[in-house]
Amino acid sequence: MLDTLSAPRRAAAKTPGEARTVPAGLVAAVLGLALLAALTAAVSWGSTSIPPSEVWSVVGRRLTGEPPRPGTDDLIVWQLRVPRALLAALVGAGLGLVGTAVQALVRNPLADPYLLGISNGASLGAVAAIVLGLGAGGALGLGLSGAAFLGALGTFALVWTVARRGGGFAPLRLVLAGVAIGQFLSGFTSYLVLQTGDEQQTHSVLFWLMGSLSGASWPVLAVPAVAVPAALLWLHARGRGLNALLMGDETAAGLGVDVTRLRRELFTVTSVLTGVLVAVSGAIAFVALMVPHACRLVVGGDHRRLLPVSALFGALLLVVVDIVCRTAMDTQELPVGVVTSLIGAPALLYLLDRRLGSGS
Amino acid sequence: MRIDIEDLHIAYAGRTVVSGACLVAAEGEITGLVGPNGSGKSTLLRTVYRHLRPVAGRVLLAGTDIRELSPARSARHVAALPQERGSEFELTVREVVAMGRTPYKRAFTGDNAADRDIAARALADVGMAEAAGRRFTALSGGERQRVLLARAFAQDPDVLVLDEPTNHLDVRHQVELLALLRAQRRTTLVSLHDLNAAASVCDRLHVLQEGTVVASGPPREVVTPELMAEVFGVRAAVVDHPLTGDPLIAFDHRTPAGGRTAPALEANPAG
Repeated sequence: MLDTLSAPRRAAAKTPGEARTVPAGLVAAVLGLALLAALTAAVSWGSTSIPPSEVWSVVGRRLTGEPPRPGTDDLIVWQLRVPRALLAALVGAGLGLVGTAVQALVRNPLADPYLLGISNGASLGAVAAIVLGLGAGGALGLGLSGAAFLGALGTFALVWTVARRGGGFAPLRLVLAGVAIGQFLSGFTSYLVLQTGDEQQTHSVLFWLMGSLSGASWPVLAVPAVAVPAALLWLHARGRGLNALLMGDETAAGLGVDVTRLRRELFTVTSVLTGVLVAVSGAIAFVALMVPHACRLVVGGDHRRLLPVSALFGALLLVVVDIVCRTAMDTQELPVGVVTSLIGAPALLYLLDRRLGSGS
Repeated sequence: MRIDIEDLHIAYAGRTVVSGACLVAAEGEITGLVGPNGSGKSTLLRTVYRHLRPVAGRVLLAGTDIRELSPARSARHVAALPQERGSEFELTVREVVAMGRTPYKRAFTGDNAADRDIAARALADVGMAEAAGRRFTALSGGERQRVLLARAFAQDPDVLVLDEPTNHLDVRHQVELLALLRAQRRTTLVSLHDLNAAASVCDRLHVLQEGTVVASGPPREVVTPELMAEVFGVRAAVVDHPLTGDPLIAFDHRTPAGGRTAPALEANPAG
């Protein structure tokens, strides 16, 4: 018993650089259970505490079509907290996916839609649609998602073009171009929101620039509930192509990947997904950057394992962060982006130090 | 399978790089591409492994224009080792080699036992079997190159296309890699900077100059003092290698081609 325990450790010490990855199925199972527990906690905890057993009984009645028991528990659980917890899970999963996809697309582990300014572009698109009176585009908010998608796509194209001038993708150049353009766009977004004279304006600015899950309701869930699983399937189907892309365009071409087409599709899919996520939750910082990084350390870089695990971990992370946001202060809730920035910025500094400080 | 390149014209970044190149890579032979910097070697190879699209002309794989095949289908026959050197991402050696199976796989299908066997054999062929579980980024330059070659072998190709495979390798790793290629006996199209290496391992050489093939043939016929002067602009003698008998190009590292000495020396012959 002792031998079997210590043997792998000895082997790992003997060969430096030995990757120690955990089977993805196990990781996914653990994350899935943790997500279920976190969702239960998210619905249970809050200004009014509702025991988990009661949470599941309300959910069970709703799912089986039994008439809800009279009382406020049903309202709080089913109308307020369950949609919000599910929105956190969907947005978190989407951020995990979009981060993984963008990092493969630009072949840069320091990229995510927020750092590259794409999220801010999506925010500007959404705000512009509201200000111009295009409205939310029906009950499901498809119009808002569409406007956010156009903002994301335009910004991505701009950042891409700026970063590619002079050829290649210097990692730092890409990130700096994204940060600069993103800041410019967020200034513009703030201006647009503030000049409407809406009394909710400060709250709106916070929503679009810091991200928030406070707009959750059942109808809001519809678009992300379709888009996030669809994106997972689409990306997973191209897992081998994404892997090949990590090695370089020429290598991918030599492996029979139609690189131009895959790039174009990835461009569109990441913009759509960013648009959908921003339309329901604003621009949430750092989740899309951190989640794929953390998951790569555990299951390795193969996208066929990385994508589902990133989706699960992103969901778990955002559900937990949202619990913190709702319960940290008695009087009001924190925008979810405040907490993700507090965790994410130090993580980014650490990554920068590891990648640039070592001179590689 | 043989490769025929017919009257190939390729533009890259708005500039014509290859204009009217014709050459043949015969079945089972190592065909070398040599030429000065910018002569179009890499560009030509990129068209063979379909990173670039030619403006005109054709690349024939056993008589079929590769552009009539889907990218995946031609990648089952032609494997490439470009000059790209990898990735900052956390891939293991095993995962990198397994990528060679990409052209055989549909969406949502994992690697089966046969795929894993092929990948393991490819890794063993390059002498890196023990490194399977290591991170690719933790390898040395020579080890990385061997792993990338194993990835190309895992594609189980009829034709190998290699762009300067010995670049950045120390001399021992260069020799090992070239010996590995010779042992494979696959149709191989390889660009090489080192003319002596090319003359020694290739069955046939094609010399590129400004995007066209200016000389073709067995190394002994192609590698001449005249060609060294005309194409490469250097003075050289060609002698027999004392160990192998291959043509050995002995460069004159002091005097530019044409016998003219450096201007400073000319002005002051006594010095």
